[in-house]
Amino acid sequence: MTNPVDNEPDETGHLLRGALPRWPAPARLRRAVMEALNPVEGRSRPSLWLPPALAALAAAMVMVLWLAPALRRENGNQMEYLSRAAISEHARAVLWSDTRADLLPAALPRVMEESGVTLNWVFTGDDDLQLIGAVPTVVEGRRAMSLVYRDRDGHTVVYVISPGPIVAIPERGRVQIDRWRPLLRKESDGFSLIVWRQAGLVCVMASDLVSEGDVGRFKQYFAKVRASTELTKRY
Amino acid sequence: MADDEFRQQALQHLDALHNLAVYLTRNGSEAEDLVQETYVRALRFSHRFQPGTHLRAWMFQILRNTFLTFYRLREREPALGEAGVADGPAPMFHDAPAQDGESQSAHMDLEGALRRIPEEFRTPLMLAEIEGLSLDDVARIMDCPVGTVKSRIFRAKERLRTLLKDYGQPGREQAP
Repeated sequence: MTNPVDNEPDETGHLLRGALPRWPAPARLRRAVMEALNPVEGRSRPSLWLPPALAALAAAMVMVLWLAPALRRENGNQMEYLSRAAISEHARAVLWSDTRADLLPAALPRVMEESGVTLNWVFTGDDDLQLIGAVPTVVEGRRAMSLVYRDRDGHTVVYVISPGPIVAIPERGRVQIDRWRPLLRKESDGFSLIVWRQAGLVCVMASDLVSEGDVGRFKQYFAKVRASTELTKRY
Repeated sequence: MADDEFRQQALQHLDALHNLAVYLTRNGSEAEDLVQETYVRALRFSHRFQPGTHLRAWMFQILRNTFLTFYRLREREPALGEAGVADGPAPMFHDAPAQDGESQSAHMDLEGALRRIPEEFRTPLMLAEIEGLSLDDVARIMDCPVGTVKSRIFRAKERLRTLLKDYGQPGREQAP
């Protein structure tokens, strides 16, 4: 075989095609992509008893009056829901994490089993930030996992890991932290959130660190946790 | 193109996109995130896809642009050594396909050599040689003229041959 570029025997191309391993998409990625490609799967179908003209008219009206704006808001709503869920988890952690501090590390296998999220590696802490709890939870009707960290000043940081659905993280609001580019949100009620995707999972980190300096610390916490935590979506 | 048809066709390229993503990011987890982001973007901008053009190439283009925008940082790029190739540790993949010892060693050498070629050269080489895309498609993906693509592929192969000699690949040395 000759090389279309240099018209010489294409030994290098042959070597690449024959010896370089290919990396097919793992099953979990395929599932995640299919979910992303079919977001309307499972929605109720329109009624079949309507006469076709009336059905078409109704569908058009619905599209104009309701569906189109709803679709525009859909991703925003999902993001809002995730934000509220993470902030609720933060409130729970502040209220109850002390009483559950003895759950770690023995609780992790059960939490992983119940949440559908496997932690291949997890950031358990350093001088600045310590993992103090892990609980299964529910986000948007799906099982999820919440990891609770506390920093040396007593601030609680919650790391919520949800198997889905796929949320398109908007480009506006993304910030560069180390080698990642997650979304940083400052909520009006005194919370900061960092949202990203990892291994097909939606991840939200919530804290009450909101001042400019504190947000800098929050970003450092994110970088530590993100770099040292490896996830797998189980189902 | 109807949405359903678009989705169905887009899904056919998942394995190829993931393969390139692994070689771009050198990290299994980030490769998966990159591919997901690519599909989310492809769906969002599906109205811009022109039916009759090459969907596979269009998706590769989205993947590469997403990689360049969000995943590649200067500090992550390995520094160039004296020989004009990158220095750094071997790539780490979590789920390497099962191989016998000898061929695995050869693959690692080949992967290692490929990794040491800059992305601008590595990507067109992979798109043309591994994915079998035409030079026109590769040029569109890389956003450069076809002549530049030819030159980069030629230089990538040249560099790969040199690196493989350095690695001592059996059968790759020129006979005396």
